[in-house]
Parts: sequence; C-alpha cells; structure tokens
Amino acid sequence: MIYGASMTDVVGEAGRALASLTLGEPLPEATGPWREIELYSPDAVALLVDWLNELIYLAESEQWMPVEFDPIEVTHTYLHARMRGRALGTSPSLVKAATHHGARLEEVDGGLEAHLLLDV
Amino acid sequence: MRVPARIYADSALWDQISQDQSIEQLVNVATLPGVTGYVCAMPDVHQGYGFPVGGVAATRVRDGVISPGGVGYDINCGVRLLATELTAESAGRRLETAVHQLSRSVPSGPGRNPRFSLGLDELHRVLAEGCRYLVEREMAADDDLAVTEATGCLTAADPDAVSAKAKTRGHDQLGTIGSGNHFVEVQHVDQVFDTAAADAYGLTDGRLTVLIHTGSRGLGHQVCTDYVRLMDQVMERYGIHLPDRQLASAPLDSPEGARYFGAMCAAANFAWANRQVITHYVREVFAQVFGEVHRPRLVYDVAHNIAKIEVYDGEELCVHRKGATRAFGPASPETPDRYRAHGQPVFIPGSMGTASYVLAGTDTSGERSFGSCCHGAGRAMSRGAAKRTVTGAQVRRELESRGIVVRCASKSGLAEEAPLAYKDVDRVVEVVHRAGLARKVARLAPLGVIKG
Repeated sequence: MIYGASMTDVVGEAGRALASLTLGEPLPEATGPWREIELYSPDAVALLVDWLNELIYLAESEQWMPVEFDPIEVTHTYLHARMRGRALGTSPSLVKAATHHGARLEEVDGGLEAHLLLDV
Repeated sequence: MRVPARIYADSALWDQISQDQSIEQLVNVATLPGVTGYVCAMPDVHQGYGFPVGGVAATRVRDGVISPGGVGYDINCGVRLLATELTAESAGRRLETAVHQLSRSVPSGPGRNPRFSLGLDELHRVLAEGCRYLVEREMAADDDLAVTEATGCLTAADPDAVSAKAKTRGHDQLGTIGSGNHFVEVQHVDQVFDTAAADAYGLTDGRLTVLIHTGSRGLGHQVCTDYVRLMDQVMERYGIHLPDRQLASAPLDSPEGARYFGAMCAAANFAWANRQVITHYVREVFAQVFGEVHRPRLVYDVAHNIAKIEVYDGEELCVHRKGATRAFGPASPETPDRYRAHGQPVFIPGSMGTASYVLAGTDTSGERSFGSCCHGAGRAMSRGAAKRTVTGAQVRRELESRGIVVRCASKSGLAEEAPLAYKDVDRVVEVVHRAGLARKVARLAPLGVIKG
C-alpha cells in the first residue's frame, strides 16, 4: 500500500518502496547520472503497475536500482520521470513483477492510496 | 459464471482452500468468454494473481479467449525427473559430494549463467526449437525429446512475438534454477505402489533420482507482463469485461491472442531448454562423481504453467493450466510410446524435505479435469507468513537432522519454502488418486536439496 498527496507523490513513493524491498532501509545514496523514463498507460492504476514493471525490468536486466526519483510530469495516463540509482552487482531476487490483481487507487483524506500486489 | 466450478479436495483440504481467495478466483475464471464445460481446482489449489494456482480452464478456440494470467508469469514452469541405476547405499559418501558439485554447477538464485550466454540468433533458435536446438549443441539426445512433453518444442512458437525486453532478461539465464520454490533435488525411490508402471518408468525401489523444478525465468515473466498489459488495453475493443484485470484476455483468433500464443509457446520452449541444460549439468556431475555409466536418464518432463490446444469431444479447446499438470492416460497419442501401457508420468513434488510422488496419467482425467492433475503440495501459508513463523537456520537444522544435504544461498529463501508453509502432499496425492485424475506409482524421498 502506497500513500501520496498526489499522483506525482504516489509514483515516487512506489519507486522508493520497490527500491527498499530490494536494497533495504535506509535507501543508499544514488550515484551516477540521471536517467529519464516515459510511459503511457490507459489509466492511473495501469500506469502504476507499468511503472513498477519498468523498474523491475531495469533491476534485472541492468542490475541497477533507481532510488531517487524526480517526476517531471505525471497525469493519470502519462508519466515522465528522472531517476538516479545504484548498481546492484547481481540481479535482485525479491520482486519479479507487479500485477493487476487487486490493484487499485483510491482517494483518501488529503491524498491518494494505491494498493499494488507484487509477484515475488 | 458461464460454467460451473469443480473442486477436488477432501474435508481437510477444503478447510484450507476456503480460507484464501481460491474459490473466488475460480468463480472469476468461470466468467472468461468461451470457457466451456467447467473450471477446475486441483487439491493443491491456492490463491494466485487473478487465476488460482492449481486451476484449469478450457476455452473454445473458435470463439473463446486466451488469458496470459491463466498461464502465469513463469511460463512452462515444470518438473522433470531423472533416474539412475545408483542407490543411496552404492552412492555412499559420494552422494554429499554430488550434491555439493550440483550446487556449484547449476546456477541458482536470481543470477545469470556464466557458462552459457546466448547471442540473439541462438536465443531465437531456442525460442523456436526448444530442446531440439540443444541436440545440435550436444546438451540433449533424441531420447530426451521422446520423453519430454511435446518433445520439448511447441511448433507454434513465434520468437518475433517475444519482446526485446524479454530476450534481454532471458539471454543469459538458460541453465539456471532461479529463486522462489525452484529446486534440484536428489532423492531415492522409497515406496512403489504400482510395480509395472514403476518398472516402465525405470523407478525400482531404492534407486536414486533427480527432480528438477524450474521454468522460463525472467524471459517468461516479461512475456506475461507484456501481454497482460497489451490485453488489458484491448479487452474493451473486443467487448470483454472481467472481474479481475489480471485475467485480461483477448480472443484466440484476434491478432493479440495469436501473438500471445506464439510468444507463450516460445517461452515454453525456452523453459524446456532450460530444464534440459540443467539436465546436462546434472549428467556431467554424476559422470564425474559416480562414473560415466551413471549419467541419469530422463524419465519425463511435464509443464505446469501453460495453455495447450487440445481436442475434447471433437472440439478444439485452449486448456489453461496454471499450476496444474497434464495427466494423459494410455489412450492419448501424446503419451510417449514407451509409457503407452501405463499413461504418462505425472510428478507431484512435495515441499522441501518431504516426499514427492510419481503418478501415471489416466484416461478418466480427460472427462474429469481436461486431462489435468495437481502440480505440487500447494502453499498453505504465504512466503511472508512462513518467514515470520520459522527461520532459515531452523529449517536447515531440521532437514540436516534427517540426513538431507541442503544447499541454499539464501536463509530467508529456506524459511519461505519450509514444509510448514505447504499442504500435506500425502493428502493431496490421495485425493488425486481417489478421484481418478492420476494413479499412484512411486514415492520419492529427498536426500539432497539445492534450492533456488
């Protein structure tokens, strides 16, 4: 479950939550240059699922985990973010995919609450 | 629901099944367009993502859908059994050496295979040809193909339907176990229930066996992720409305459905090739430790996360098996000739450290479960709950106290797969046997475990 004051916050928080599952807390400092990512999805829930799946792909294929996020533009169907991360040295084992099962985004007092189920 | 749901269980298993979302998920599966006959839950069923693990659903090819979530992330996750002429006694102290060497030879955990990285052309051949490509690479023999489901190659595979991301994830993962509940286990036959079938399978009492459980690794996961996303985007166009987005589907005869089927078949071929490369490594180790004559022989290889086109009552159906194994009987033309008198071998691994079973498929399974059977003991506890209940060190001590050699890089991984996190495999197998889905042949007891 992820909470944020806005969709922009939820996107950043989801990225940090995924990083903390892989790297533990506190998250290490990011190193290296910023990278950019752009995504289009049909709705906000799909956008969050797609976002995490992009990060999972980067972690496994490049052994690189983003830990610092700078969402440049986030709507309910579009995401453009900068990110910096850490080299992992090996592929992480914990999270293999973000699923649509039970995924939802709800308005709560003063913000948004996202429920996302990960395949581990 | 478009069709009824069938659940195979006894009262104790029913109590466990009804405590999670399995039944609700099975009901959701029964809403898939074109689903026919019934949907089915095996006695090891437990909640999954959208589709329960241990679930079977058949959709009509002419007007039904295919659902990537009905196959699962680990496409063609499956099990293969190797048999030897050795016994625990004849192996003696070399057994521990063999388990240790296996843990060094077969990469486990999330990593890559430093011994076998594929270029794009080679990867395309694996995706298109599966185990057949490995015959050329001298990692498989024709005899291996004869006892692999679909001879280790689905000819409908379309490597071009597999994304570049999936290929990137998979190109250096062939010959690796992966993590989670995947393993290589050295066992011995500790009980025979059906001597004729056991003899046909080469499973004499006391003989050492090796059970390999793994799938299509990151490549399969990415194929599933890619196509759940695609189908989620196009469902509306086809007028498909489902209670769970993870069941996202497209008509089998649509461009998206056809493309997924081609990609899934390619990922399935990758998985068969993966288990075959691991088999090659196991054979190398056994030859080194016990001598050339003791290279293990493949008994059979079965998929348990797959969608297959099969004919029932004259109708072509797409049978989704998610955490369910084929259990074809003697009458099926797909049962290997050498097992024709008994039915195809079916493997039901228990949890780590408990017994695994070999069964024989039955002709009655066709009408009772679309020729399907369960694929394991089935989780009774989530991975998180298991880790909160027991530590990896406790699990290791318990297994070692029973003489089981354990190799596992991750303590938490051991805890996640603790026997207490699973249902009672003896009970699960008994339900399968009594329901006529498959017939008990032999029980295998673990001697050494390499856990992914």
